[in-house]
Amino acid sequence: MVQYQARLDNAFAALSDPTRRGILLRLGREDASITELAQKFGMTLTGMKKHVTVLEDAGLVTTQKVGRVRTARLGPSKLKDESDWIETYRTMLNERLDRLGDFLERTKEK
Amino acid sequence: MTTTKQAPAKATLTTPSDREIRVERIFNAPRDRVWSAFTDPELVAQWWGRGNKLVIERMEVERGGHWRFVEHSPQGVHGFEGRFREVTPPDRLVYTFEWDGMPGYPIVETTIFEDLGDGRTKIVVTSLFYQTAERDGMMQSGMEGGMNESYAALDRLLERME
Repeated sequence: MVQYQARLDNAFAALSDPTRRGILLRLGREDASITELAQKFGMTLTGMKKHVTVLEDAGLVTTQKVGRVRTARLGPSKLKDESDWIETYRTMLNERLDRLGDFLERTKEK
Repeated sequence: MTTTKQAPAKATLTTPSDREIRVERIFNAPRDRVWSAFTDPELVAQWWGRGNKLVIERMEVERGGHWRFVEHSPQGVHGFEGRFREVTPPDRLVYTFEWDGMPGYPIVETTIFEDLGDGRTKIVVTSLFYQTAERDGMMQSGMEGGMNESYAALDRLLERME
């Protein structure tokens, strides 16, 4: 449990940076090498390596080196089961209905 | 005409079964307006995206008609789509709902519009999730689940940080 908490803290720290969030979204689409990521985000290889290491330490990303290329992919965090999806959906539905309420108030005939 | 400022009605959430979500909400608007907000693409675009830009790629409001919306949030682009199953103005709308990030997990949303007779409208949204057995069948048929699941989990994490 303590270990889990520490890892969660790491994950939140890792996600506090917009570039790192961008990297995760990019990896959500497909795996990418550090070089590709560096090009995509317009930074040096060293800079990108640092970001990826932070994400790796937080368990959000794993990397694997084959030959001279290090490839990054999304880490082990996965939806556990259907209940996670139901929860995500429930949040979306409520946010949507909040907005509908705002919209109806805003456009009310005076 | 003066309008009384009322606190926005909060959703009532109940879970009739473990694969069903039911949300009730009361809006200070007549039923025709609420119905239009759900079925007129120009109006849908103004609220459905939860404050994010929404592109309505298709919206054929008729039985069997296809709908596809793309939400552009700061965390990324999310596509949602489905088909209308029942369109009965102004009181009943049934459609399937599927998120690109979660293929193979369609939901059937039934929205009932109830005229409360005082200028307000109650809507009841019932969302039915596919049964595990049906879903497992779909997942086994070669769905690329893992990657999309990771993506979905990530989105949730990012959303919580907002």
